[in-house]
Amino acid sequence: MKKKNWAKSYDKATPWLLPFLLLVLWQWLSSAGWISSKVLPTPIEVIAAGIQLSANGELAGNIGVSFTRAFIGFMIGGGIGLFLGLLNGIFPVAERYLDATIQMLRNIPHLALIPIVILWFGVGEEAKIFLVIIGVFFPIYINTYHGIRSVDRGLIEMGKVYSLSKWKLFSKIIIKGALPSILVGLRYALGVMWLTLIVAETVAASSGIGYMAMNAREFMQLDIVVLAIVLYALLGKLADSLAKLLERYLLKWNPVYWKK
Amino acid sequence: MSVEKNGVHISIQHLEKSFGDIEVLRDIHLEIQPGEFVAIVGKSGCGKSTLLRHVAGLEVVSAGEIKQDYHRINGLNQTARIMFQDARLLPWETVLTNVGIGIGLKKNWKEQAKKALQQVGLEERANDWPSILSGGQKQRIALARALAAQPRLLLLDEPLGALDALTRIDMQELITDLWQQKKFTALLVTHDVSEAIMLADRVVLIEKGKVHMDIQVPLPRPRNRSSAVFAELEEKVLAEVLGKKVGKKDSGQLKRVANE
Repeated sequence: MKKKNWAKSYDKATPWLLPFLLLVLWQWLSSAGWISSKVLPTPIEVIAAGIQLSANGELAGNIGVSFTRAFIGFMIGGGIGLFLGLLNGIFPVAERYLDATIQMLRNIPHLALIPIVILWFGVGEEAKIFLVIIGVFFPIYINTYHGIRSVDRGLIEMGKVYSLSKWKLFSKIIIKGALPSILVGLRYALGVMWLTLIVAETVAASSGIGYMAMNAREFMQLDIVVLAIVLYALLGKLADSLAKLLERYLLKWNPVYWKK
Repeated sequence: MSVEKNGVHISIQHLEKSFGDIEVLRDIHLEIQPGEFVAIVGKSGCGKSTLLRHVAGLEVVSAGEIKQDYHRINGLNQTARIMFQDARLLPWETVLTNVGIGIGLKKNWKEQAKKALQQVGLEERANDWPSILSGGQKQRIALARALAAQPRLLLLDEPLGALDALTRIDMQELITDLWQQKKFTALLVTHDVSEAIMLADRVVLIEKGKVHMDIQVPLPRPRNRSSAVFAELEEKVLAEVLGKKVGKKDSGQLKRVANE
């Protein structure tokens, strides 16, 4: 029994094995002088910087600011994307009027808008949130629209023959059939959300993780710069894990998500 | 009389249907008595499924009319329930909810759905996902769903076509049992002549969009495939389907010779 338990926890730890070894290697190379401290601080220095910045509240404040921007932008952009995706997926009339325009706008890289966004909004919160909204909107829109269009026609016909009400047809068949695709859009959008935020905060901001990194660069505080990068990685991973959890819960009917 | 009233009366007059230039149904006449079980056979592409879809109200007639209890069918036929060749269960709903779809998930649907599940002998699978069921079990659930609302007309669109031979015999018995209990009118489309004779009161052969043959099956139920009358009838219908003109006596003798 004990042996089995041990094997189980080892199984759970396997994905973390490689990152851990890399950290050890990094630490060893730095302390042995193979990597200059002007190129890369040691992991321990990065952690120390994290502890120091947490102690004076600066770190929590900056994470909070970045998280708020990400959250607000995601909710607005994702909400609009979901709404328009549903609208165009369900009503061909709406699709005829709107889809072509949206597809055209989609081809503009949203980060190319940074100069004009700064002109419009300055370096305040609106600029960052606006960019996140644009970045998040398209993946959610496209995947929602595609999900609805690819719901099995046979199931919809069945629902009609069984005289389901319009609402039941929508909530039990169309939405649930489109959900796997919508969730793919969600995960993709979360990635775009962080990416947009990183760029926007590095280019123009007066608070947030990106600002923290840019500020540290001015004073050659390499440990803080690396800390900011690590933080982005962790926050991105966290968002993705949450999305995965959501997927596992909402798509629990799908054998793909069953544990053996 | 009161028992017979459970099923609907169907009257098809001068029914024609073309898709573009292709004439699928040409001048179909068919009367179906309340509570009667009629099987429609024919080669693939003869229009038998199209005929069924007309009775379900899923197609718009090109000419002629279909009356149900002396009222013209206009739009979706609300009294009819269809069983499709593929079960068309919702993978994201439990077995019980899938059966509940048959009652439109309206008030007290759970109890009715449970009863319907009992009738097909699968009440212990109520909380399972459809994906873990076998093909035969899926069709049983589809049958329970079709019968849950006590329909007065059941349309069967090759529902057993994808099942293995043994499961098919089981399902045929189940359908016969339930039909005898509930006295609904049944219309079965199949390419399996033996299945048609096993189940139906009357076998209608459709060829090139017309009723080519319409014969009674004067066999008591439960029916026995190995009886001489069954075999003779099967041979007669098959010969018509395949377009071979074989004399009645000859065919009987041929069969006897072949068996010896």
